[in-house]
Amino acid sequence: MRDKNKQDPRLPDETFEPYEEPRRIPMPVYWIAIALAIWGVTMLVHVSYSTKIADKERAALNDQAIAANTPVKSEPTPEAGKALFADNCASCHGDAGEGVADAIPPLHASDVAKAGGATAITHIVMRGIGGPLIVDKADYDGEMPSFASVLDDKDIAAIANFVASDLNGLKSTVSPAQVAEIRTASADLDPWDGGSGLAGLINGLPAQPASETAAAPSPDAAATAALATHGTNEIWSCASCHGDKGEGTQTIPRLAGLAPAYLAKQLHDFKEGTRVNDSMDYVVKSLSDTQIIELANYYGAMSSPSGARPSLKGDLARGEKIALEGDWSKNVPACFTCHGPSGIGVGDKFPGLAAQQPAYIAHQLAMWQGGSRHNSPLGLMAGIGKSLSDADRRAVADYLASLPPAAANAKLALAVSATTKEAENGQ
Amino acid sequence: MQITPTLGLLLALSFIVSLLALTALIWAIANKQVHTPDQDDARSIFQPGEGAEIDSPALPHHFDTARSGIDKSSAGPVMWLISMGVFWLIYGSIHGLAASLELHLPDLMSGSAHMTFGRMRTVHLNSVIYGWSSQAGLAAIFWIIPRIFHTPLRLGWMVNLGTLIWNLGVAAGVLAIANGWTDGLEWLEIPWQIDIALAIGAACFVAPLIATTRARKVHHIYVSGWYFLAGVLWFPMLFIIANIPGLHWGVEQATMNWWFAHNVLGLWLTPLGVGTAYYFIPKIIGKPIYSYSVSLVGFWALALFYSQVGIHHLIGGPVPTWLVTLSVVHSIMMFVPVIAVAINQHVTVARNLWALKASMPLRFISFGAVCYTLASFQGSIEALRSVNTITHFTQYTIGHAHLGAYAFVSLVLFGAIYQIVPRATGKYFPFPRLIAWHFWLVVVGFAVYFFSLTIGGVLQGLAMLDASKPFADSVILLKPYLEGRSLGGGLMTLGHILLAVNLIALAFSKRTQDLETEPMVAAQ
Repeated sequence: MRDKNKQDPRLPDETFEPYEEPRRIPMPVYWIAIALAIWGVTMLVHVSYSTKIADKERAALNDQAIAANTPVKSEPTPEAGKALFADNCASCHGDAGEGVADAIPPLHASDVAKAGGATAITHIVMRGIGGPLIVDKADYDGEMPSFASVLDDKDIAAIANFVASDLNGLKSTVSPAQVAEIRTASADLDPWDGGSGLAGLINGLPAQPASETAAAPSPDAAATAALATHGTNEIWSCASCHGDKGEGTQTIPRLAGLAPAYLAKQLHDFKEGTRVNDSMDYVVKSLSDTQIIELANYYGAMSSPSGARPSLKGDLARGEKIALEGDWSKNVPACFTCHGPSGIGVGDKFPGLAAQQPAYIAHQLAMWQGGSRHNSPLGLMAGIGKSLSDADRRAVADYLASLPPAAANAKLALAVSATTKEAENGQ
Repeated sequence: MQITPTLGLLLALSFIVSLLALTALIWAIANKQVHTPDQDDARSIFQPGEGAEIDSPALPHHFDTARSGIDKSSAGPVMWLISMGVFWLIYGSIHGLAASLELHLPDLMSGSAHMTFGRMRTVHLNSVIYGWSSQAGLAAIFWIIPRIFHTPLRLGWMVNLGTLIWNLGVAAGVLAIANGWTDGLEWLEIPWQIDIALAIGAACFVAPLIATTRARKVHHIYVSGWYFLAGVLWFPMLFIIANIPGLHWGVEQATMNWWFAHNVLGLWLTPLGVGTAYYFIPKIIGKPIYSYSVSLVGFWALALFYSQVGIHHLIGGPVPTWLVTLSVVHSIMMFVPVIAVAINQHVTVARNLWALKASMPLRFISFGAVCYTLASFQGSIEALRSVNTITHFTQYTIGHAHLGAYAFVSLVLFGAIYQIVPRATGKYFPFPRLIAWHFWLVVVGFAVYFFSLTIGGVLQGLAMLDASKPFADSVILLKPYLEGRSLGGGLMTLGHILLAVNLIALAFSKRTQDLETEPMVAAQ
């Protein structure tokens, strides 16, 4: 216990009452209050001014979106069709629709187009087509993606009418309203199965090759589909993040139509730790090599419409320039030099980029830059990632999201080695 | 689209009106339109009969609260509030420490839902805010208000009833939260059904204060009285409006949530802490507060500007820009009242540094008062968009919250407890050395806690903003700082246990003082 006698004599006795002295307010308090008040008023005025500008810009964007979504009563003009054809079709089918021998069927004076007219062309543009096809007695076996996500009803009508009338001299036309009906009925369906698939669509179609018998469905195909859509007790399903149709969302990538060899390599990289993602690291732990190949084939063969739309406020013109030409002032090559025309992907090292989720692309570019993703051949992407600014990343990601998805190519499927499988079954 | 600009205009007007009101106040003070408490007022405050003997010209500003029976009237209710407050302090600290441990030892208590971080942290918050700070603050109010009004506490039984109901409410609320039953809004987790009990308890606290105030025997109300009376009127309004079920939806609910949560700090805990410090600093030192005019500015600027501050928690959220901006501007305007309080309190202490050595309670209270200045400056700056971009959603905010609610309010209340209890019970604390240990444990513990979270929080914020780093990096880099937080929190909890030990030992010790005949000197 403290002794009272040792207390500081300067302490007051218990009856002292607190009070305040009648002093003036110090001058600095006035200055500070005035300065803060001026700052506050300025800030409010400034923000209300910038809010007004932002509101105006938003209203303008809204009007544009409304205009774009409003069905146009007037028929599309031939001039519009020609321009749209040049932008979307000519890169493969040629400026005059002449096609490429043995690779891309012609659209100019083509017997299939003549038989089907504008309606059949609309159906093909809407769903895409892949597999054996005979046009003007020549054999083709390629893939064309669906353009449903890229072109609106009016654009598709303009293109179909341009191909029918200007390139084939037909009178048949479609209206945007008819395109809208076709979109509702079929935009989500798989691409047409080559020439034989068109048989039910076009009367008087020239003779077509039989559909390639799909590789006898592997007894494990159903199991793989179940793994992808329902998962197992240990692993959650692929679809729970990547979507029913492998279309991805936000920073979760689209898987549908990516080359199986690329998908399998990434899964192996996750397993070996050369690519890092907390969710995927967990999932791949319990996947066998066979399951990896089967899942890669499953998603590689999957055709689904694009789930991506530009959403990062990127500058689309700048993005297009980077994708098509690169930016040599920053030592950035064109994306499409390696990733293929229109970003459809090349081989197992260069995945398709078209219709990939923009947030995923921008995020991965940042990851290359920061070095936390580092599994590209020769460190190519690390150099590119370091050269792109945040605005460039968003620009190119948004541009890629505006492209039609690459069509799935079943021929790229990987074979499951019998020995691997036996070894796994034996365990 | 039509309503928003109108509401925006109205709220922006509230800023202009606040500014004009502050200008008018300052003009009035500068032109002597406001009566300052002069010697006449001071003389008029003595009890009739007593004044003749005590009120010699040599002793203005003196009044014997012990002999006039004032302390006796409030001692019982005050001791109940303090005891229950310290119980919730210990209970809340242990939960806070457990929540902190769970952040870097995630598997420690993963076995049961009651022990998960989400519930532990929420129990911690509600225990320390409604159980500890509010009750310890009310104890200070019920001790100081009768003293400065020179009249015994009225309706003391009602305070005891309120304490009972309030504690049942807090206990039921905490139990509900631990079992997963909450209203789901931060600071408003206690289910509204239980909040009814808290509201009734609050009413039982307000009525005696109003009755005591109406019976006051002084002409001039000392500055602590303004803060206390304003606080006990603001808090029930905030609490009831925010808890009305079914009234708030969607984005409006989020804005109401932060309006409430921040106002609990600014319009309830802050008046408690500032009012208590305003009373005890001059009381212990024996010297007046620097300036009455500055007190006026400090109080009215708080009253005018604070209520809009909370929405800065929603910077970047889906809330109209003008609303957030208004909140940012009001947050910055808080520099005015804080500077005013700082001048008044710190000048008095700085001119009498010897007293910090002489009085342990003053050491707690002055440390708390300095932390009020620091926490408020930090809070104003944090509300700026450029700073908030980095610190929002990081541990930095937790550090700031504890600088305000702990280093300021709780430290002031610790000091108040050490000052009040011997006078209310007539007993000295049995272990005076433990008081010094308590002080240094919480000061060192808090320093470790605060600097860990502040540095860790900034690094975390920068890592989260860096698109080229994976999110996990921002989590991993925090680990040592979270461990530092647990260390600091452990030291603070230990300090609280020492306070409880001293209080329990005091309860069982023999009475050494007679309140009525042998008043104690200011520092024990």
